[in-house]
Amino acid sequence: MIRLAVAIALGRLAGWVSKALGRGATAVPGLVAEKIHPAASSCLAATLPEGVVLVTGTNGKTTTTRMLVTILEHSGKRVVTNRSGSNLGRGILTAMIAASRQGRLLGDLGVFEVDEAAVRSVAPALHPRIVVVTNLARDQLDRYGELDTTAGHVARAVGVSEAGVLNCDDPLVASLGGHPGAVHWYGAVGAIRDSLPSDPALHGGGSAPAVIEPDALVEESHPDGDGQQIQVRIDGEVLSTRLHVPGAYNAYNAAAALLAAARLGVRPEDAAAAIATMPPAFGRGQVVEMDGRRVKVLLVKNPAGLNQAIRLLVAEAEPHQVLLAINDQHADGRDVSWLWDAAVEELAHSPHRFGASGQRAHDMALRFKYAGVDCWLEQDAKAALSRLVHDAAPGETVYLVPTYTAMLTFLELLLPGIPREEAWS
Amino acid sequence: MTDSVVLVHLYPRRMNIYGDGGNVLALRRRLEWRGFKVETVTVDEGDDFDFTRADLVVAGGGEDRSQRAIAFDLVGRGDAIVEAVAEGVVFLTVCGSYQLFGRRFVTVDGDEIPGIGVFAAETVAGDKRMIGNVVVEGPWGRLVGFENHSGRTLLDPGQATLGVVRRGSGNDGSSGQEGAVVGNCFGTYLHGSLLPKNPDLADDLIRRALERRSGASVTLAPLDDAVERAAADRAATRP
Repeated sequence: MIRLAVAIALGRLAGWVSKALGRGATAVPGLVAEKIHPAASSCLAATLPEGVVLVTGTNGKTTTTRMLVTILEHSGKRVVTNRSGSNLGRGILTAMIAASRQGRLLGDLGVFEVDEAAVRSVAPALHPRIVVVTNLARDQLDRYGELDTTAGHVARAVGVSEAGVLNCDDPLVASLGGHPGAVHWYGAVGAIRDSLPSDPALHGGGSAPAVIEPDALVEESHPDGDGQQIQVRIDGEVLSTRLHVPGAYNAYNAAAALLAAARLGVRPEDAAAAIATMPPAFGRGQVVEMDGRRVKVLLVKNPAGLNQAIRLLVAEAEPHQVLLAINDQHADGRDVSWLWDAAVEELAHSPHRFGASGQRAHDMALRFKYAGVDCWLEQDAKAALSRLVHDAAPGETVYLVPTYTAMLTFLELLLPGIPREEAWS
Repeated sequence: MTDSVVLVHLYPRRMNIYGDGGNVLALRRRLEWRGFKVETVTVDEGDDFDFTRADLVVAGGGEDRSQRAIAFDLVGRGDAIVEAVAEGVVFLTVCGSYQLFGRRFVTVDGDEIPGIGVFAAETVAGDKRMIGNVVVEGPWGRLVGFENHSGRTLLDPGQATLGVVRRGSGNDGSSGQEGAVVGNCFGTYLHGSLLPKNPDLADDLIRRALERRSGASVTLAPLDDAVERAAADRAATRP
């Protein structure tokens, strides 16, 4: 107990020092506290009366987590969560330290997004009531080795949870269903499922088994302004709601959040009403004004995510200026081969105009060339953003499609001085 | 012999993990830009295909599970592929398929996955993953790519290579060798994708394929490769 108090105090102190030094390292408190008390996360999580929910998977973790937190907060719960997207064990502990007083968490339950490799060690420590798995596709192999290995990590996390909330339309996630706890399935009707990029190669060559009747089924999903109008059937009850985030993939994220909320005892109609209030986060479809133009930011991290952005652009009949900004830092993945796995060819006959930026702007330009898409190239982020915006007329929407670290650079350019946590939430 | 150049993507469903489709696309585009018609054929496990009908064959990398899944099929085609290589059909094998074009691959568990023995090479699973940007110098000039493998490929003495590793690990992390070449059959760990950023190698594969088709020496019309070379220059300097 004393040791936990010391760990938390020193963690906090380290956080203040690091902030004072102007380092934006969001996971410092957790890092320090972990060193002093390796079971700090476990002890703090145990003080949450209604337990912990984890959200993991390749794409959609942040949005699904925010949706679930929004729903729970609307139902009157106090929720502890990692808003900054800092989703390794130490990031989650940092979020807990920020929400703790005298060694206890000030909340009813915790909802944390967890990196799909870190979840292997995070889950056993937190004894989750529910593990939500969004999807498992190819991502940053230079970090994780192989997709099968990642699936093994996630399977272990689902295995130690009381219940899994699983996407039955994703072949690898569907294969996690054979564990001893309860499994709740969500999915979409064929037409929506087929509108998602489903390159079997991205999923290790598997094909989705014909599941069963999912507990939550997306029956309708179509674009509505900057958002998405969806209809989901949960446990036989049909709900309609409008999301402020675009794309059919967000209908899946919503189904996951609605189903998890239902299993936590929230009435589905209340959950559907709550989810409609959630604004988009930076990088997940949020629109930022710049010089009278609307900059819509879509973060991409892997071929599946890039394909989602491509589908969104293909569905846009009006011409837009689009900038892809590809970095190759550790957090983006050092290997940019994934650009060749995405269906960039689908943009060849679109009316849009494309630019390439980032540390690997030249690789993006090369990918465009072989896809038969003309593009301009500007490596410098500031100059590229200026061109993207000023090539459009005032009032028009332009699309910025960056990888993770490129997004942080543009965040600073578009919303100078805004703390990352705020942009994220 | 058809009018079209026959370009084969071997095992695209299971062995396509590092943008291997980029190699197929690079060959197709560079042929089309020069006015050739291209017929692209995909060959997965169980598909009937006569490899002597192919001009160019590209095979990519895959995870251990995928490698095991195709190994049986590949061994079944072994004689046909060896014969096609002897006839001068052009093959590019990357990572997992490169390993299986050697004699065998011994996995972490000590299992042996048999290869088809085109290359005088064997691969043994290592305990360290070799990951990062690679620069190779050799008969094809500078080659730039990205490697991500734990298998260490050991060549028999006298087995020709793609060149000497200037940056990165290459075949085994210690010999300084990268890749293997037998006739018109090439093996390498470099992806990224390899051919878009290395147009000289891409064109050499195309030239070899066209020379086999026509039986005469071929000089390719030059293309503007400024974008390709800029991307390669940039990749060569990245950490």
